[in-house]
Formats: sequence, C-alpha cells, structure tokens
Amino acid sequence: MITLEQKKFQEIEKMTKGYNPLLVLGCETCAAMSFAGGQQQVAELASAIRIARKTSGQEGEVLEDAVARQCEPEFVDLIADKVGGCDAVLSIACGAGVQLFAERFQDKVILPGCNTTFLGVTEELGVWSERCAGCGNCILDKTAGLCPIARCSKQLLNGPCGGSMNGKCEISKEVDCVWQLIIDRLTRLNRLEMLEEIFPVKDWSPAGHGGPRKMVREDLKS
Amino acid sequence: MMTGNELSTEIKYPPCKLACPIQTDVREYVQLIAERRFEEAFATIRKQNPLPRVCGRICTHPCETACKRGQVEEPIAIAALKRFASDGLWRDQYEAALPGKSTGHKVAVVGSGPAGLAAAHDLALLGHGVTIFEALPVLGGMLRVGVPEYRLPNDVLDEEIHTIVDLGIEVKTGVRIGKEIKLTDLFEQGYKAVFMGIGAHRDRKLHIAGEDKLKGVVSAVSFLRGVNQAEKPRVGVRVAVIGGGNTAIDSARSALRLGAEGVHIVYRRSREEMPAAKEEIEEAAHEGVQMSYLTSPLEILGRDGKVSALKCIKNELGDPDDSGRRSPKPVPGSEFSFDVDMVIAAIGQAPDSSLVAEEIEVTERRKRIIVDGPYTLVTTQPGVFAGGDAVTGPATVVEAISAGKRAAISIDSYLRGESPATVESAGPTETERLSSVIIEKTTKFERCLKTSLPADNRVKGFDEVEAVLSEDVAVKEALRCLHCFLGARLDKEKCISCLTCVRVCPLGIPTTNKMGEITIDPFACQACGTCALECPVRAIDISLDSRAQMAQKIEKGMAESHQPDPVIVGFFDLHGNFGSSDMERLRQGHPNVLPVMVFGLRRVDTFDVLKAFECGADGVFLAGCAPDTDPFPEATDRVKRRMAHARTLLDALGIDGARLEVCDMPEQGIVDKELIDGLIQRIKEAGQARSE
Repeated sequence: MITLEQKKFQEIEKMTKGYNPLLVLGCETCAAMSFAGGQQQVAELASAIRIARKTSGQEGEVLEDAVARQCEPEFVDLIADKVGGCDAVLSIACGAGVQLFAERFQDKVILPGCNTTFLGVTEELGVWSERCAGCGNCILDKTAGLCPIARCSKQLLNGPCGGSMNGKCEISKEVDCVWQLIIDRLTRLNRLEMLEEIFPVKDWSPAGHGGPRKMVREDLKS
Repeated sequence: MMTGNELSTEIKYPPCKLACPIQTDVREYVQLIAERRFEEAFATIRKQNPLPRVCGRICTHPCETACKRGQVEEPIAIAALKRFASDGLWRDQYEAALPGKSTGHKVAVVGSGPAGLAAAHDLALLGHGVTIFEALPVLGGMLRVGVPEYRLPNDVLDEEIHTIVDLGIEVKTGVRIGKEIKLTDLFEQGYKAVFMGIGAHRDRKLHIAGEDKLKGVVSAVSFLRGVNQAEKPRVGVRVAVIGGGNTAIDSARSALRLGAEGVHIVYRRSREEMPAAKEEIEEAAHEGVQMSYLTSPLEILGRDGKVSALKCIKNELGDPDDSGRRSPKPVPGSEFSFDVDMVIAAIGQAPDSSLVAEEIEVTERRKRIIVDGPYTLVTTQPGVFAGGDAVTGPATVVEAISAGKRAAISIDSYLRGESPATVESAGPTETERLSSVIIEKTTKFERCLKTSLPADNRVKGFDEVEAVLSEDVAVKEALRCLHCFLGARLDKEKCISCLTCVRVCPLGIPTTNKMGEITIDPFACQACGTCALECPVRAIDISLDSRAQMAQKIEKGMAESHQPDPVIVGFFDLHGNFGSSDMERLRQGHPNVLPVMVFGLRRVDTFDVLKAFECGADGVFLAGCAPDTDPFPEATDRVKRRMAHARTLLDALGIDGARLEVCDMPEQGIVDKELIDGLIQRIKEAGQARSE
C-alpha cells in the first residue's frame, strides 16, 4: 500500500484559511488504511477546522465527503456537483489523488491535507515501514526477498558497507542493515553463494531518472 | 454530513427474548436498569406483561436458562431485575396504558388466573368490554390459591389485579360457568366470544391403597387452597409429600411453616428428572425438607382410621420414556415403610372441565380442553376459545400469560370478522454456543447474591422469603449483560478490508478470508465498540451507544444544558462503582458538569471530544471505572492514548489541551472533587490569559 500521514493541523489551518465553503475529501483506500484519509479522519478533521474557525472568529462552512479512490477519474467525477459548490477542496489523499483532482477540476483550488510517505507494509496496527522504492526493475530474486534499494540507506547493490554494526545501519540504531538481513536469510536458505555474483551498475532510468514515467498497455487502452 | 448505506447485518432476537413465551424485551429493560433509567425499564416490562411483579417472583425464567452469560459463568438474574424494576415503580410513576376506543363487543373471560387476567387485560386494551367470571370468591386463580404467600404475597397480587381490573373490566366472582350459567347462556346474554382459562385445579389421584379411606390424606390443590386462606389447615407432625413438581415443593415448604416437624418429599425419579425449579428444590432443602428420590409409594398404612405410615419401594432408572426422561423401575425386595401422619398427593393436576364437557370437547384421559392450534386457540364450539393450564395441563405462569395474550389476538380477529393472524414461530430457541476461546477471554463477574430471610425465621410464618434487590446491586447485575446482537454491525459495501477490526477486537471475533471479506459474529460480539471507533472508513457501527446516539447525547445535553459557565462535559463509564447518591452529589456539588453516561469509556472518540467543544463546552473530562469493574480493561487502555492524540489536536486548534482530562473514578464515588475544581480553575485562567 501507499502510506500517508496527515499534515500538521497548523499547516492545514493556514492553507485552508478563508475558503468558504471548504470541502474535506477523504480517499477510502490507501489513505484510509493509513488512518489519514478515511471517513473517520474526514469527520475528525472537519470538526477540528470548524472549531478552529469558530475559536478565531472566522466564518466558513466545512463540508465532508469521501470517494473510494481519488486516483480514478470516474470516482472523482461522481462528486462534481459538490465540488462545484465549494471554494476549495482539501484532499486527504496521496499526491496522485490530489493531482488527478486538480486535473479534473481545472478552476478549483485543491489543497493537500496529507504527506505521501512511502510504499510499505503494516508491521502491526499503527506501525508501517517502507519496503519498495518503485525502481522499475525488481531484483528481489537475487536478494532473498529483501530490497536493498528501498531498505539500504545508501541503496548499495553489493553491500554491506563499513557502516554496518551488529546488524544495524550506521544512520540509526533503530534501522536494520538490510544487507545483514540478506546474508542471514541466504545463510538460512543455504544459498549464500548467490552473493558471489556481482551486481553491475544499475540502470536508474526505469526508476524515474529518465523523466516522468508513464505506462501504456496497448491491449487494454481504448 | 455523509450519508452511510444501511447497515446490512440482519437484526436478530437475543436468546432471552426468544426463550420468553411472551417475548419480553429483556435485553432492553436490563440495559435501561444498567443506565439507571428505571421508569423506562418498568414501562418496557409492563408493555408485554400485565403481571410483572408476579413474574418477578415466581416465573421459571426460561430467559435465564437461555442467557449467553450463562455460558461464561452464571446467567443474568433477570427475574430479580424484573422484580426490582416492577416493585420499585408500581404506584407512583407508572402511567398505565388506556383502553382503546370501545368496539361495542362483549367478551366473557372464564377464570381469573394468569391466562384469564392476561386475556382480559389485552382485550380491554383492544377496546372490547370484558367480564371476568370466577368460580372462587377471590380473583387470581392458582396465583391466589396455589402459590403460597412466602413466594407471592397477597397484596402484590391484589395490586396487579387492581391495575388490570381498573381498565374497566367487570368482575363476577362465585360464578361457576357450566353450572349456574352454561356457555350457551353467555352468548344469549350478549357475549360475542368466550375465553376459557379455567386452569387445572383437579388433583390426579395416587391410585394406591389407603388413599380414599384414611384421615390425613389430602390433595395438594386443596391443601394449598387452605394454606392461602386466613384460617390455615392443620398439618401432621410428620408429613409425606408425593410428587416432584413445584406444587409438591410448595406443599412441603408450607407444611413446614404450619408446624410439621418433619417433611419428606417422595419422588419416583432422581433429582435430575425432577420437574420443580432448581432454586425451589434448593430452598426447600435449605429449610429442612427431606428428599427421598427414586422412591414410589405403594400403600398408605393406617391406624384407627388415620394415616400412620407410608409404604414405599425403591426404584432404579430404566430406559427413557415418551417424555424423554428415564423411567423408574421398582427394585424387587426394596420395600420399606416410614411413620407419617399426613400424606399430601402432588402428582399433577388436570382441568376441572366436567361442567363444560357437554358443550366443548376435552381430551379423554386428562380432560384438557381441545383447541385447533396454539395461536388460534379455537375450541370445538364457535366463539369459544381456551388457553393456559386448561389446554396444556399444569405449566408455568408465563406460559399461561402467553396463552391469554395469544387468545386476545385471536378473539380480536374473530370479533372483527377477520381470519386469525398467522403467526410464524420465532424459530429455534436453542442458544448458539460460544467458542471456548471467547468464553475464556470474557471477563467474569459474579452473579448478584439474593437476600433471603434466614431459614429459621422463614418456617415461622408466611413472610416473603426473598427480598427485592437494592438499586446498586440491581444496576451492577444489569451491567453483566453481554448485549447479544447489540454489537458490531459491518457494512460490507463500505468495508475496505483494512483488517483494523480483526486486529483490535479484544475477543478475536472479526475474521477474514483470504480475499479480505470480514465476518463479525453478531451473537458472539459483546459490543465493546473498539472496532467501530478504530474503523477508518466507518464501515462498522454498534447498536449500543452507536455513533449517532453518542453525538445525540452530546448535542442534546449541550442544547438543554443549564450548567453555569464554564460548562464541562463529563463522560462517565456506567461500570463505575458509584450509586445514585453519588450522581446526586455530582449534580449538587458540581453544577458545571454535564454528565454523559456511556457503556465503557472506550466508547469515547476524539470525534466525540471535538463534538463537545464544537457544541460550546469549555472543558471535557473522561472518568473511567476501576479495572476490576471494567469488562474490557485492555480496550479501555486505548482511550488514554486516543485522548493524548486529541489533546495534541486541541493544542493545535488553539484550545488548550489541558482542558481535556482523563481520570479514573475514585474507589467509591464518581469523581474526585479536586479534579473538577482543578479543571475549572485551568479553564478560567486560560480564559483570563486570552482576554488579557
């Protein structure tokens, strides 16, 4: 999933100031699963904005809604009427959702309520961690299912480096050295010899270094 | 606001309601007692039951047998709670329903036992003119002449009957239908329908030698009839009661109270098969009644025309008979005798239907009135209906009330010329079984102890044995309810399979399949509400203190608030160890506090706190119960973390986070004075700082 977190309230309050009515719009897939943009968070954030406006003597109606995914034009278009009646939309979706919204409603102010953090997994309720950098060329078959691009601080392909100490990365005692994990796991799998193959220099163009990425499936597109 | 889809889970009856012959809304009134809304609790009971105080005392409470809590440790003391709600509010606060607009039809109700009274009550409410015909000089049927006063005091019965008769019912006592007045005469007198609720007042005979000719042999019905009169019958020194039903127990306990030195119950099967209520058997034994199980009487022996001994034989249990109980088989050579000077025969009763047998058909052997079905209750004579013990043979009070109520519906249809309403059976009454894992994870709370007279005092007279529960005990007992079918309802259309419910449930009730389809067992769920609060897309709500109800409590409370400034919304956990005097002290001592009572502090969300501030509150505090009274202590721990988040948010909003306080209730009482005073002080200081 894509993980997100809500921006600090002060930042949200500042960027939404003066818009009346303001629509707080949730996104019920990744954003909801990150507890940042589901209906529950929409209700809470809208209530907070209303109170803040009342406390500081501002006028302004705050509306609430949510769609299944803000990254799909069909869903976004379904609330066109409501959007039309608003001064601005505070989208609590990932950056993709916010931008699609802006594209569909050219004349509307669209504001981001969240920061998109990473592609990751739920470790347990309330704890997420990064697992994939979206580099466009998966090598997990060679690294025992552990990604050095997403999880090595230096994105080393032939690690570990000298900063690996007792299984931890030199940047923090909280961060595992993924190369230590790769070696441990290959040892358990009795495949340690796989590391004798040296990774060549990585082609970063599929990772976005070759410009904005686009994917087209001729068999599917209309 | 967003509009949600209708929640899709089908609403089912809880087992207590399903088990009750009159489908009393048990769960609802138990919940109302837990919330200290006693008047509403009583109104809920009285809505379905015209004899709540009788049932609160002598009902065999199938609801308790079905209660889900019974699978965990012991069922909720439902009958005692019914008595608590009904006894306490009888005279002053209950507004009885008014009879409906008169239909002009006259209906005769024959017999004034529970079936007749219930039929009369419901018919009167439907607007029919009702006359009760009673053969005895007093009203009440078996309740009056069969149940001894130590279980059901006369004044209680009188008050219940008065309330029913006050609906405008005409009463004729001392009139035996079939003798002075035939059934056909009733129709000639203008009655359009007749309900026969004549009960089962004729004792079955023992059919053993000595039964008819010896002095000192009595039937239980006539003995108990005597017991319930001012002039009590004389009893022997050593009494044998033959039979194993409630009538046998009533006879034995009454004989003790009338001075018998030794009372033996002689029952042919073992205790396990004994039809009397378990509590009754225990109470009788506690008072000193001796039990001779697996024993059948063979002959009553006499001297000088009086009973002198009872000859018996021991039995062993053979194969199950038609009733499903193992049948007794005499053990050859095990005959024995013991000295007694009185024998009470309590082996069952049959309706005294001989007087009407010419006009309506009765069964051959047991003389029960024949009806065409349990919902229509139509006899072989058009316009004549029957129900209760007269049809089923001896059964329970609540079954008789149920028959009376069914008859009223059937008679009403008949009088309107409509075909009787087809009633579907409510379905299987077997309570679903909880898994052992859920039982293990459920917090146990002891069932309340009943307060009874000491055994030595009891046998000196006919004072009521059991006392009514005190208010605080009743509330605590009601809080043991596990809220069957009031828990989580999942809207599958909204669910995004985020698995939060699966992760947070303290009992492990939500489950998922590999496609992320979530299932929440509505019977097993105990309505802690954690999943509903944590669900990011609000796909789950719970019925007990639902999201809308919580918002309404806050909005309504604030709108009607007369609290002086600063207004503080206080959320209180109903599970706390406080009483009504503490509530009163709170009102008196802390007029600023607007109390919002909740089934567990874990039900309070950040959203609710914001809602309170949005509605104009100056401060909010949450007072939680002690962990030992909390059914979900782990889930409650989440509240403190949730409120830390809320406090940060309040700070960001420009409302000082210190205006939100979370505390535990003191060991006794509802909230510490210092805490509220401190909160008020902080709010005032913050207000001054701002205005400066």
